[in-house]
Amino acid sequence: MFRFRLLPWDYGIRNLFRRPTRTALTLAALSTVVLLVLVVAAFIRGLEGSLAASGDPSVILVYSINASSDIENSSIPARTGALLSASLDGIDKRFGQSFVSPELYIGTRITSVADGPLMFGIVRGVTPAAPMLRRQVQITEGNWPGPGEILVGRLVPTKLGCDPQLLTIGSTLHFDGRDWKVSGRFTAGGAAFESEIWVPLDDYQQALKRQDLSLVAVGLAPGAMASDVELFCKERVDLEIQAVRETDYYASLQTHYRPVRILGWLVVSLVAGAGIFAGLNTMYGAVVGRVRELSTLQAIGFRRRAIAISLIQESLLLSTAASLLACLIAVFIVNGAAVRFTMGAFSLRVDSVVILVGCGTGLLLGLVGAIPPAIKALRYSVLDGLKAV
Amino acid sequence: MKKFVSAALLSSCVALAIGCSGPAANPPAAGPSAEGARFRLTAEPASAQDVKAVRESAKDEEEVTIVGRIGGDVNPWVEGQAAFMVVDNSLKPCNEKDDDACTTPWDYCCDTDVLPQSKAMVKIVGDDGRPLSTDARKLLGLKELQTVVVRGKAKRDDSGNLTVLADGVFVRN
Repeated sequence: MFRFRLLPWDYGIRNLFRRPTRTALTLAALSTVVLLVLVVAAFIRGLEGSLAASGDPSVILVYSINASSDIENSSIPARTGALLSASLDGIDKRFGQSFVSPELYIGTRITSVADGPLMFGIVRGVTPAAPMLRRQVQITEGNWPGPGEILVGRLVPTKLGCDPQLLTIGSTLHFDGRDWKVSGRFTAGGAAFESEIWVPLDDYQQALKRQDLSLVAVGLAPGAMASDVELFCKERVDLEIQAVRETDYYASLQTHYRPVRILGWLVVSLVAGAGIFAGLNTMYGAVVGRVRELSTLQAIGFRRRAIAISLIQESLLLSTAASLLACLIAVFIVNGAAVRFTMGAFSLRVDSVVILVGCGTGLLLGLVGAIPPAIKALRYSVLDGLKAV
Repeated sequence: MKKFVSAALLSSCVALAIGCSGPAANPPAAGPSAEGARFRLTAEPASAQDVKAVRESAKDEEEVTIVGRIGGDVNPWVEGQAAFMVVDNSLKPCNEKDDDACTTPWDYCCDTDVLPQSKAMVKIVGDDGRPLSTDARKLLGLKELQTVVVRGKAKRDDSGNLTVLADGVFVRN
């Protein structure tokens, strides 16, 4: 008999513009909440992405059995690389060069000669074999380092917390008792290597007055078994070494950062919860001020459900606009921002998952923030509502 | 309604109590596979020597019989290959020491100073001399800290490392 009629769509839109200051403030508050959620989610995705991009499943890391997962504390004999090359058949080769990269991985204090403050950076002593195994590495400026020179990763300024101008080609850094000239810069597709300084291995061993290595990275030929490397390590008890697939190594670091990720998502939940309460407060205020209007709508024939849906529509429109605004800021400003973090640096990543989380949070804020006030609004009887001040 | 909720809560508590009643007991080792049955000996070989004694006296390519406990590393196995490490019986694993709640007692982490000289690698090899590409746990039905007697050929290197290319394994316990 009576059809269920919704309020006109533009009624909700006009209502938003009837109180422009309140609408603008609510929009700003919701945008801030969604932006905070996006930033935290981008932090977590950036951290995960950095570790995921750093591993190659065909690369095996051989390092000290006593170092656990802390390669910086690993020390293995210098001859380990040569022994691996001679003993294993499954190592990849190209133009007579084995995919074996002996490396020295050290955290050390660094100063720029031009500027005084001490900075803490990661230095990796490498040979020309290193880029063969770390295929993500690309030199974007300058050349491979010669004696007394270094190659600087894209995120090294962030890691060191210094002005990028201090790391231009030709500038000098001082660490481990020597001056080192920047010969080039490299990127590594978001991998952890981007926050490292690469230096010729022989040079670095001389500077540190040590002959041992931190690790040897071994590249397997297609079809070769990682277990052959593991078997070699376990047989050679005298070397006290262990073998771990590079992807498994970085996966163990992911586990190590699990509390950070859990904390991050907890912060997201708390921020979203605060946003919901803020939205509730705003909508309650809006409803209380419109009791007569809502009762009038009931008096002229609109059902309570239709009025509730209109209130939810207003809230969702506002929260959707806030989500879009926050996403635009996140994509154009937050995405790619570098963050210094413990042993390295990484870039915040605003990807599809982050956008989904942000927009989902925004919509949830709009929905949950509108339902209780809508229910409250509809509890008034028509007569009491019309008489309300 | 109240009775239903109370019953549901009580059932949940009981389920939690049963589920969280403590660490599950170590499952017993499964038996050897069909492929591994020919390497599993039914009688203990005679003249078995401890790992340390074999490390000291055995020469390259010499036939040896070695007895030891499976362990010597957090993971004494080699994934995807029939190989494992054994440790001399004179060393006690962590779980046989007082007040030690180590979750991986077979790594002998309390004896790292003497462990390198007290362990050896065992490889179950096929006719081509290469280790079989089946995990030793599945092949022979082994597990950590079992005492095994291995018969095979010693392989030594210049650094004194010992590997036994096994053609038979007897499990003592």
